[in-house]
Amino acid sequence: MKRWLTRGVATRGVLLAALALAVALPLLAQAPGPDYGEFNFLGLDRRGAVWIAAQLHLLFAAFVLGVPMFAVVIEAIGMFGGDEKYDKLAKEFTRLLLVAYSATAIWGAILVFFLSTLYPRFWAYLTAIFAPSMWVYAGLFFLESFTLYLYYYGWDAWKKGAAKKAHWCLGIMLNVWGTIVMFIANGWLTYMMSPPEGLTADTAPQTVQLWSAINNATWMPINIHRLLANVVFGGAIVGAYAAYRFLTSKTDEERAHYDWMGYTGNLIAIGALIVLPFAGYWLGREIYEFSQQMGITMMGGFMSWLWIIQAFLIGILFLAGNYYLWIGMGRIPGAERFQPYIKWMLLVLVLGVIVWATPNTMIADRDEIAAMGGIRHPFLQVLGVMSAKNTAVNLMILTTFLSFLMYRRANKDPVVPWARAGTMLQGAAFALCAVIVVFYGVYGYFVTAIVRIGFSVYQVLAVLATILFVIGIDMAMLRGAKSRGEIRWGRMPDRSQYALLILAVTFTWLMGLMGFARSGIRQHWHVYEVIRDTSEQAFTPALGPAATIISICVLIFFALVGLIFWLGGLAERSVYQEAEAKVKAGQEGRAALGDPMPAPSLGDVD
Amino acid sequence: MTNLKILFTVVATLAVFTFVANVIPQVQSAVPREIVLSADMPPEELAAIGEEIYAGAGGCTACHGLGTRAPDLLGVVGGVCATRVPGQSCKDYLWESLVNPMAYIVEGFDPIMIDQSILSSQAELWTLVAFLESQGGEITVNADDFAAALAADDAAAAAPPPPVVTDPSQVDAVALITAQGCLACHALGGEGGMVAPPFEELRGQDPAVVLEGIVDPMATINEEYSAFAGTMPTIFGDLMSPVELDVLVNFFVGGAGAGAEAPGDAPEVPPDSAGGSR
Repeated sequence: MKRWLTRGVATRGVLLAALALAVALPLLAQAPGPDYGEFNFLGLDRRGAVWIAAQLHLLFAAFVLGVPMFAVVIEAIGMFGGDEKYDKLAKEFTRLLLVAYSATAIWGAILVFFLSTLYPRFWAYLTAIFAPSMWVYAGLFFLESFTLYLYYYGWDAWKKGAAKKAHWCLGIMLNVWGTIVMFIANGWLTYMMSPPEGLTADTAPQTVQLWSAINNATWMPINIHRLLANVVFGGAIVGAYAAYRFLTSKTDEERAHYDWMGYTGNLIAIGALIVLPFAGYWLGREIYEFSQQMGITMMGGFMSWLWIIQAFLIGILFLAGNYYLWIGMGRIPGAERFQPYIKWMLLVLVLGVIVWATPNTMIADRDEIAAMGGIRHPFLQVLGVMSAKNTAVNLMILTTFLSFLMYRRANKDPVVPWARAGTMLQGAAFALCAVIVVFYGVYGYFVTAIVRIGFSVYQVLAVLATILFVIGIDMAMLRGAKSRGEIRWGRMPDRSQYALLILAVTFTWLMGLMGFARSGIRQHWHVYEVIRDTSEQAFTPALGPAATIISICVLIFFALVGLIFWLGGLAERSVYQEAEAKVKAGQEGRAALGDPMPAPSLGDVD
Repeated sequence: MTNLKILFTVVATLAVFTFVANVIPQVQSAVPREIVLSADMPPEELAAIGEEIYAGAGGCTACHGLGTRAPDLLGVVGGVCATRVPGQSCKDYLWESLVNPMAYIVEGFDPIMIDQSILSSQAELWTLVAFLESQGGEITVNADDFAAALAADDAAAAAPPPPVVTDPSQVDAVALITAQGCLACHALGGEGGMVAPPFEELRGQDPAVVLEGIVDPMATINEEYSAFAGTMPTIFGDLMSPVELDVLVNFFVGGAGAGAEAPGDAPEVPPDSAGGSR
C-alpha cells in the first residue's frame, strides 16, 4: 500500500499533466474559443483556484527540493564521519520525500488543468513559447522520480564501501535533476514578470526565441533566491516533523532522536535564512533595473505595507528561533552560566522587532495629526527610517549569532592556553561590530540619503566579518575541549517543539506572502506590459484578502503535511512491528533449538 | 490531545497573521481605465479619478509613500494641507504643490519634485487635488475650478503647437535646463538639487550615453544615486525637439557651465538614438 502510494502517484501526476499539455497545446493554439473559462466553487473564482493550486504546488515543490539538499549533506557526514546516526537521519528525511513528491505532482497536474481550462488563451500562448522546455521538464521529472526511488529503496542494499558512495551519488543526482526542474519552471514564471525587450501584444509567440524567453532579467536571481529559500523551508519543515514526532513519542529514545533532528533542521533553516536577504536584494535590484515602475510598485506603491508585515514575520522567526536555542540550553550541562545574559538578548531582539516594524508614517485622523503635531509621530518618526531599521536588523542577526555561540560552547571548556585571550578577542569583536552598526545607524541621520544608503553596506559587512572571525576563533579554541557533560537529547519541554511548529508555519506563510509580492507586481498583466489580463480578476487584491488566501493555502498544506507525517510514522511502525515479530520468532526458534547465539535487536532494523 | 494542541498552534498562528494583514491599511491595485473628464462630475468621482492618476500615470508613488524621498500623503495630507502656509487654503496649497513644488518644501525632504503641469493637464491636476483633499480632509474642489481647467486644457489643445526649433543657435541650453525643471534634481554650477549627478560630471562622456540618460533615465543607473532611481520622468524625449536635445547633450559633454563649446561646434549626436522615443 505504501509503495503504491509513493511510487505510483507522482508518476501518474506527471503523466496526467503531460497528457493535458499534449491535448491542450494543438487545440488551444488554433481554436478561437473564449479567453477565460468559468469557475465558481464555494465563492472561489478562477484566479483564486489557480492561486491556491500554484501555491500548494510550489510549497510541496520547495519541500521536495529543499529536503534532498541536506539529506545528501547529512548522509555524507555520516558516511565520511562514520557515525550511523547521521545516515539514519538522512534516510528518515528521504522517507518524507516520497509522499511529498506525489503531492507535488498532484498539485502540479491540478494547476495545469486549471490553467488550460480557466486561462485557455494565455495557456496556449505560454505553451507556444515554452513547449520544448515543458517536455524536457516532464522528462526530468521522471528521472528525478526514479532517482528518488533508487535513492530511498536502495539505502539498505547499498550500505557499505563503493556501493555506499554510489548511493550518495544518487542523492547528488536527485538534487541536480530537482534543481534543473526548478530552473525550467522559473523560466516560465519569470518570463511573465520580465519578458525580453521588444515584445508586444502582437508578437506571435512562435517567433519568441525559447532561450531569450527563459534567460530573462529576473530568471537567475529568482533561481538563486528560491534555491536558498528551499533550504530554509526544508529545514523548517523537517524541524516541524521532528517536533510532531517528539510530541507524540512514547519512549525516551525516540524523544532524544527527534529532539536532535529538530535541532538540526532548525539550525539549517536559521543559518540559510541569514544569507537569504542578500539574494533578495539582488532580485529586487534586477526588478528595478528591468522596470522602475515595477520596482516602485513593489517597494513604494500599493505594496509598501507588505514590508511591514514581512518585518513582523521575520521578527517572529528571530524570536522563535532564539527562544528554541535558549530552551535547548536547559538540556546542556554548563549552560546555566549563560542564563543571565538571555534576558538582555531578549530585550535587544524585542526592541529590534519593534523598530523594524515601525512604519515611517502613521495613518491618523485629523485629531491625531493635530496631537502629533504633523503627519509623523514626534518620537516614532525617528524609528521608522532606514537608518534605524538597518541598525535593528543587524543587531538582531548579531544577537542570534551570539545565542548560537553560547549554545555551542555551553558544555565545553577550552583547554588551549590562549583560551582566555581568545574569548576576550571574540567579545571585543562583538563589541566593535555593535559599535560600528550603531555608529553608522546614528550617523545616518546626519547625512544625505545617498550617503546613508552606503552605510547599510558597512553595517552588513561588519556583521558578516564578525560572524566569520568569531566562529573561526571558536573552532580553533574548542579543539580538544573538555566536556562538562553530554547534551541530554530529549530533555526538552514541549513548548520548545511548539516554537519549531510556529517557525515552520511562519516560514511557509512568509513564502506565500513573498510569492504574492512577486506575482502581484505584474498587476493587470499576464506578461508584464505585453499580454494584458482582461478578466474581471485583473485587479491586484489588497493585503487583507491576499493574506486570507495565503492562510488557506498554508492550512491545506499543513493538513496534507500532517497526513505525510502520519504516514511516515505509520510506515515506520509497520517496519518496526514486522521486525519485532521477526525478532520474537527468532528468539522462540533459537530457544526451542537451544541456540546460544545472541538474538538480533530492534536496533539492527530500520 | 497532543494532536489538538498542534492543530491549535497552526491555526492560531495563521489567524494572527491573517488578522494583522487585515487591520493594516488596505490598498488594492485597480486596473487602469481610460479617463473621461467632464465639468459636471461630483467631487467623489473627481477624487476617484485623481486616485487612479496618483497610483498610475501620474507616477506619484515613485516618491510619495516610500518614506524617504517625499512625504507619504495617503490618509493624512487632506488634514494638514490648510495648515502648511498661513492664509492659504488646502485647495490652493495642493494646487501650488503640484504646479510650483519649490514654493514649499516639507521639512526633512529634498526639493526633488518637478512641475506636474509638464506631465498632466489642468483638469487632471484638479482631480489630483480632489483626491489629496479626500485623504484626511474634505473635498473643496468645485465645478467652477474644474470647468475653468477644462476650458484651459481645450484652449491649450486648440492653440497651434509651438514652432519646432530647427536652428541650434536659437537654443539657450541653460534656459532650456531651467525651463524643463532639471535643476530640481541636478546641480549646475553649484546651484540645484543633489539627488542626481551634477551636470558637470557629464563632461567628456559619450554623447549617445548622455542622450540615452535623458530619454530613458533607467537605462543606466548611476550607482551613487541608485536610491533615487526612478525619480526622473521619462518624458523629456517627447518634451524637447531633436535639435534641443542635441544642443543639450553637447552642452553637457562639452563641459556644462564651464567653458562649454558653442553648440554648433560640438560632436554630432547619433540621429536615430533619440528618434525612437518621439
